[in-house]
Amino acid sequence: MKNAEIEEVLDKASSARREVPAELLDRIAARIAPAMRPVRALPPAWVLTGGLVVISGAVALLGAARVGFQGIEALTAPARLLIFGTLALLACVAAAHLVSEWIPGSPRRLSAVSLLALVVIALLGLFALLFHDYRAERFLAAGLPCLSAGLLHAAPAALLGWWWLRRGWALDPVSAGLAAGVLGGIAGVTLLELHCTDFHPLHLLVWHTLVVPVSGALGAVVGLVLRERPLLR
Amino acid sequence: MAAYQAGDFAAARSLIDRLSPQLHRFLGAQSQNPSDADDLLQEAWLRIHRARRSYRPGKPVLPWIYAIARRVRVDHYRRGVRTTAHEKRWDPLDDETTASPPEAPRAEELEALLAPLSASQREVLEMLKVAGMSLEEVARATSCSVGSVKQKVHRAYEKLRQTMSLPELKRSGGVQ
Repeated sequence: MKNAEIEEVLDKASSARREVPAELLDRIAARIAPAMRPVRALPPAWVLTGGLVVISGAVALLGAARVGFQGIEALTAPARLLIFGTLALLACVAAAHLVSEWIPGSPRRLSAVSLLALVVIALLGLFALLFHDYRAERFLAAGLPCLSAGLLHAAPAALLGWWWLRRGWALDPVSAGLAAGVLGGIAGVTLLELHCTDFHPLHLLVWHTLVVPVSGALGAVVGLVLRERPLLR
Repeated sequence: MAAYQAGDFAAARSLIDRLSPQLHRFLGAQSQNPSDADDLLQEAWLRIHRARRSYRPGKPVLPWIYAIARRVRVDHYRRGVRTTAHEKRWDPLDDETTASPPEAPRAEELEALLAPLSASQREVLEMLKVAGMSLEEVARATSCSVGSVKQKVHRAYEKLRQTMSLPELKRSGGVQ
């Protein structure tokens, strides 16, 4: 049987129109009518994406202004370019994805979980490429403050991002929460790279990178709570 | 849609009248209970109304509407799974006094044809055939790539080819 024949059968079957009861349509219209008022459409996606990148960058810079820029000062120029260039690129990708989560019917190139995997793999590759001294000194004592500082800055970046997109409509709050968490996590990692002077790869691979999945998971949990309690949305 | 966003009730009503038949069909296609489609249609329009500011003028309307309708269906399925896990299902066939359901309309023919397909393959074919959307639009509505939609269509056609080639189907007039 050829594709054209299948098409023909499907076209014939799909041409039959299903009637919807007129009273159902009236009921739907009656429920919508009282809430009928003009709304302002969303700005273009690039404006929303740009705003998210600016918010993430601002949170990281403000955080570093408070705790100090020792990390970036200790880095060589090529390392600075590579680290912050990669972070900026990842922030753009995460922001574009987050915008697509908030606009129904947007083209989507990857899922929120794939975005998380992409960011984590990119950071692991970046740190493994740049730093090679695998001694682990004060692994926990130096790592936990970095993780908490990263998360402390990831949270406001994610929340501000959520606020920036509040006029959109997240179809799946869990997925949108995960993406917001990943973007916030990138802001947290950016702050750590600006401030932290511990360049041991194990410290960077574990504690700095961990900010992104932890922040993403927290965002997904918030999204899950919102999905189960739609009145909070 | 732009008039609807501007608060024009007549535009909203015209959109509801025009798109409801195909949305009703889409929403009811994978449901066991025919009355679910009515509830889902109502729920879909309420969500469309609440989300109307997220539509950007100039962009295709159908992927935007179907993305919301699809999510309504997913949420309904999720709630159904949760409910059936806690409740004992009442089977109307056990009750002899139950009136027999009205005869299925001809529009059910497509549902019967697509029955052997997986949920995602059925969904893609419904959007392509019933809503008349393009591959690009279906990709937008289902949040996946055009390549993935093409693959689903290809696999769906393979499955339909096998099903339609069955001799008993040919005898019963399923395929002319």
